[in-house]
Amino acid sequence: MICEHCKQRHANVTVTQIQNGQQMERHYCDVCAAQYHPFQFEMKEEPASLQQLMTNWFNFVPILKKENVAGSTAKTKACPTCGNTYRQFLKQVKFGCGDCYKTFSEQLPQLLEKIQAGTKHVGYVEEKHLKEKINQQISELRTLQQQAITDERFEDAAKLRDDIRALESKVEQGEEHA
Amino acid sequence: MNIEHFLTNANPSWMQYESDSDIVISTRIRLARNIANVRFPISFTEQDAEQIEHQLMNALLAINRENPNRFSYFKVKDMPQLQRQILVEKHLISPNLARRQKIGAFFLTEDESISILVNEEDHIRIQSLAQGMNLQQAYGEAKKVDRYLSKSIAYAYEDRYGYLTSCPTNVGTGLRASVMLHLPVLTMTKQMNALIQMMTRLGMVVRGIYGEGSDNLGNVYQISNQITLGKSEEVILQELEKVVEQIIQKEQLARKNLLLRAPAVLEDRLSRSLGTLKYAKILTSEEAASCLSNVRLGVSLGLLEPISQRKLNECMLIMQPGLIQQYAGATLQSTERDMYRAKLLQEKLNEQTRNNGEKGEDSYDV
Repeated sequence: MICEHCKQRHANVTVTQIQNGQQMERHYCDVCAAQYHPFQFEMKEEPASLQQLMTNWFNFVPILKKENVAGSTAKTKACPTCGNTYRQFLKQVKFGCGDCYKTFSEQLPQLLEKIQAGTKHVGYVEEKHLKEKINQQISELRTLQQQAITDERFEDAAKLRDDIRALESKVEQGEEHA
Repeated sequence: MNIEHFLTNANPSWMQYESDSDIVISTRIRLARNIANVRFPISFTEQDAEQIEHQLMNALLAINRENPNRFSYFKVKDMPQLQRQILVEKHLISPNLARRQKIGAFFLTEDESISILVNEEDHIRIQSLAQGMNLQQAYGEAKKVDRYLSKSIAYAYEDRYGYLTSCPTNVGTGLRASVMLHLPVLTMTKQMNALIQMMTRLGMVVRGIYGEGSDNLGNVYQISNQITLGKSEEVILQELEKVVEQIIQKEQLARKNLLLRAPAVLEDRLSRSLGTLKYAKILTSEEAASCLSNVRLGVSLGLLEPISQRKLNECMLIMQPGLIQQYAGATLQSTERDMYRAKLLQEKLNEQTRNNGEKGEDSYDV
């Protein structure tokens, strides 16, 4: 059999894919099989190569699959918002809602470590989110400041006042930028 | 704006600048966003979808009042298949959205540089296109729309994972940045496989640009970041830029070497391609892509008559099956398309030859 991808070399690798719930068999030579991901699927849908890559990982690695089938209770836990289970997620490689990130928090780090550069967002912080966080910090500092005044620790209170002002100006700046 | 405007225009204004590099074709930025507390498209209801479209429409109406870059709104289900295909060929919507039967919509600016895909894999995907290598500019434009939308839309966002997306390959920044590169000599000299493997190890993805199964048709590759979490937007863009610059250097070096080693053979091969484009009566998309790639290389090396990059980009775009039929104004069978493709490319290249000498016609559109 000839490789479906390069149509030149002998096909000696059979790849089983599950696409839209349908099982398909593809035959590639070992050169194409080793690197067909970037080419074979990308045109169907933009994120598909990555998605396919992940689906393939899960389907290719029997240990992972066995683990899933054995399934701890955590893995069969359904998301309260969308009803998705982790097993369903593995099948579709898509979350049903934002709450899935919380529901599957146990499994996520291992998964993200494989496909991402880390498990923590270090990019842009949503403005509203930042403001909420700062306001929360301000109210905590105000409580401390009040306590310092009551305890007559005026130096501490003055330092806290400066910290509060600095945070308040951050919020104002944020509003100007928005 | 009427949809016809976007279907017939094979030369939108964002594509009209001549870029510095003849290797980089264009840049694309995509930001994936979802609305807080609404299920993702894989599990939401049609009512959710409608609601999301409404929310976006309201948010964008306000932009339209303040911003000269007005957005037009289209529902996918109202569009015939051919129109969808053309929009995919122009990279304005994704194939995924184009396939949708019931839900899905998109917003487009008049110059086609920004599109917002609604209810594709995520609720919102902001896409920004730019000519040449312009990652910062394209990101800046997408960011503007993003920040604007976030004023009236609460995004699904949390401290730890950043922007929550349907697929964990997009979580965090939700940013996918791509640069489209023309790498004929690295392909010809079979250096691409090794390069692709290296780029994959660096967390980059390499793809072809034309339709399904096209591989590296026309020797054009799209290189994008794979990582979206654990790196900031700035770092993602810088890393991509660095990788792209290295690839450009490799291609330039390979071109120099090839030119030194076999100038006559190269000139012959490239000139034959121009001949084919100018005189062939039947052109398959594979042959057209390969000839256009050779002509692009020939012009860049100074071995062929000057043809503007703008014209070559336009040719690369219009030779696709959907656009061919749009130009012909009729549904065409594959062989009819091949004939029409030959005719259309000839016309385009002849226009160019006529315009040569009227130098500078492309360069004042700033």
